[in-house]
Amino acid sequence: MRVVIAEDQALLREGLGRLFRDAGHEVTDAVADADRLRAAISAREPDLAVVDVRMPPPFSDEGIRAARWIRDAHPSVGVLVLSQHVEAAGAVGLVSQGGFGYLLKDRVLDVADFLEAAERVAKGGSALDPQVVASLVGGDSDDALRALTKREKEVLSLMAEGLTNNAIARRLVLTERTVEGHVRSVLMKLDLPENADAHRRVLAVIAYLRAVEATG
Amino acid sequence: MASVTVIAFAFAAVLNERAGSYGIGIWELLAWSMATIASTGVGLLLATRRRTNPIGWLLLANGAIIATMGLAESYADYAILANPGALPGASWGVLFGQRAWPLLFAAITAIAWIFPDGRLPSPRWRPYAIAGAASYAILLLVSLLAAERFEEPFVGQSSPLPELPESVVAIPFMISGLGALATLFGGALAMRTRLKRSAGIERLQFRWLAYAAALIPAAVATCLIEIEISGNDGSATTVALVVALTAVPIAIGVAVMRYRLYEIDRLINRTLVYAGLTAGLAAAFAAVSLGLGLAIGSGSTLPTAVATLIVALLFGPLRARMQLLVDRRFNRARYEGLRMVEGFLADLRAGRAAPEQVGAVLAGALGDSELELLFSLPDGTEVDTNGRVVESAAGDGRARTPVRRGELPLAAVVHDEALGQRPDLLESVIGAAGLAIEIARLRVEVRRQLAEVEESRERIVTAGYEERRRLERDLHDGAQQRLVSIGLALRHLQGQLPAETEQAEILDSTVGEVSRAIAELRELARGVRPAGLDDGLATALQALASRSRLRIKVEATGERFEERFETAAYFVASEALANAAKHANASHVAVTARRHNGGLVVSVRDDGVGGAAPSPGSGLAGISDRVAALGGSVTVASPTGKGTLVTAEFPCG
Repeated sequence: MRVVIAEDQALLREGLGRLFRDAGHEVTDAVADADRLRAAISAREPDLAVVDVRMPPPFSDEGIRAARWIRDAHPSVGVLVLSQHVEAAGAVGLVSQGGFGYLLKDRVLDVADFLEAAERVAKGGSALDPQVVASLVGGDSDDALRALTKREKEVLSLMAEGLTNNAIARRLVLTERTVEGHVRSVLMKLDLPENADAHRRVLAVIAYLRAVEATG
Repeated sequence: MASVTVIAFAFAAVLNERAGSYGIGIWELLAWSMATIASTGVGLLLATRRRTNPIGWLLLANGAIIATMGLAESYADYAILANPGALPGASWGVLFGQRAWPLLFAAITAIAWIFPDGRLPSPRWRPYAIAGAASYAILLLVSLLAAERFEEPFVGQSSPLPELPESVVAIPFMISGLGALATLFGGALAMRTRLKRSAGIERLQFRWLAYAAALIPAAVATCLIEIEISGNDGSATTVALVVALTAVPIAIGVAVMRYRLYEIDRLINRTLVYAGLTAGLAAAFAAVSLGLGLAIGSGSTLPTAVATLIVALLFGPLRARMQLLVDRRFNRARYEGLRMVEGFLADLRAGRAAPEQVGAVLAGALGDSELELLFSLPDGTEVDTNGRVVESAAGDGRARTPVRRGELPLAAVVHDEALGQRPDLLESVIGAAGLAIEIARLRVEVRRQLAEVEESRERIVTAGYEERRRLERDLHDGAQQRLVSIGLALRHLQGQLPAETEQAEILDSTVGEVSRAIAELRELARGVRPAGLDDGLATALQALASRSRLRIKVEATGERFEERFETAAYFVASEALANAAKHANASHVAVTARRHNGGLVVSVRDDGVGGAAPSPGSGLAGISDRVAALGGSVTVASPTGKGTLVTAEFPCG
């Protein structure tokens, strides 16, 4: 996997590069701002861009804007945005299109899960941070969500994070058949059509969450 | 010069006494001694206080001349008539006493030429002034040297100086005499020229002189009346003469020293009032005593007693009436102005007028529509009635009159320069309005301080929100990132070690600790200021609601407002939600944020137990203070058992 890293803090930039190299990936460029990121993406067409959400000069949401630009200019490049906080306006919309991930920065310390999410995104899949999912789901803002059991909510969250049934089963230490049953139940309770495609599932969940958010 | 005068004067008085019946009478002595003292005293004052102004020296000289001539006459009286041969040089006394008279006019004429500032009206007058001085010098010289008989009683005396014959002195005498006369008229002309072009202070200086000069005809009139009644001039004439002779130097002194210059109008006013009063009372006394005398016969003391009683009773009311009459007739503006101020003060007491109107009232009372009243604040700035700072550069044709109470400057009245010529009007009207000015100033000052405090409170709260944002950034971008870097480095080290070793396990658990520290930091940062506020109030409120265990319905406008309002609104909702969760035992909460009348309104309604009241020191009270600091308000409606509604309104978004 060929990776471009954009992170303004040198120490963290080096750490990330080492993380990917240790895992046998190629870090083609490690840059400190959004302009150099665009140049590197155009020059290398990597599999994955790992982007800090806040970069100079204005330190607001350059990462999200760079991600949108990559989505439009280089659709084949997966984008993984790393953020310091849970609030992620704009990120949710990008997740629904695939090839995008939004994770809290400290997820990199769970190396295996992080690399798995990075590879998933590079292949056109999705990754949404569990805390972000929790904040979207945890609002108890609708009776339909309240109807879910605790286990079903866990499964829904992992679905939203972008995991496959198999991965969910491993994470929750369940059999894959049990997970399939939970997924069917969740989609039924939320009145969503079942679909085998993992990404379509995420899409569905996200679409639903956004609808929840929009109606408040 | 003053000591010379005093010695001469004392000597003259002694000689006069010794001369006995040959000397002058006591009243005459009193008259010219008063003239000497007034001239010398005022001259001494001016010469020491206004060294550059020659008027002081001229007055001193005048005093010395009068004293010296008095001495010369007394000396002659004593040494020739009373005690012949007792003293040497008696003929000098005769000569000086009879022939040095041009000196008597010289000093006075010179003063007339240079009154009041000690300079000629213009440089063009200089040649005439020199010619005039020369005329007096020549006149004095030929007068002293002329071969002419002395007047009675010194006809037989001969001059100690060489005597020039009539044929030699006649023509110079005539020419210098005419010159001296012309110089006298020139003095009058100079005064008239100066008076015509004078304004302000100079005009007042002339008014003083004019006031004193007017006493001279009064003295003459007194003299004539006395002669008419008693057949000769006596004490009344002398008193009038003394007053007139003393008044002129004193008036000159006041004018040049500019001491209480502005009192002249009051002085004239009072003179008119008391002259009128005296005339009125005298007429009443005469009428009553005469009338009663005719009715009950003369010789009784009753008419006089009754007349005295009536005069005493009449004094008070008649004086007030006379003052009013004089004011109405001679000082209409002051009369009307004071009436307006009195009316305003009455309205003020009755609550019909506000103290701030005092500026407009002064403008009306002084007849200057552009008049400005500027209040002096303790910090030295000047503000208008609305509390706005005024850079008080009095413009063209504008003058300032300060208003003080003791040493404390209260205000300044900026008025038409022309009003400066009516100091009595200005002073009395402003003085009458003094209390209202002071009240208005206090109110303006308090309002201004309140506005300043409100502004600083708003700045402090806004700065507090700014500080929260900075802190949040520091936590996220500083400490948190650094911990992630450390964690990554540890993970790298762990990767170098064979798995299942003790070191690897320690590293693994350390990274776990670092992760928890990062999570705690994130929660801390969110409490300081949620990053969601960067994306607007609606996003932040959604995130807030999603973290609560209550069922929360959020209806928030996507509109953006000023950051400080959004931040304050967020914390209102946050506090209200925390209260609903902790104390209200609520299950459902509705949070709304919307634009209303151009402002931002945030409300949180729960279905809990109600009965909440923001006590001092509580979270809600603190939030209310901050909202108030931004010009908004928080209301809490919490009837027992019917839930709680917290509403915060901000005036502008």
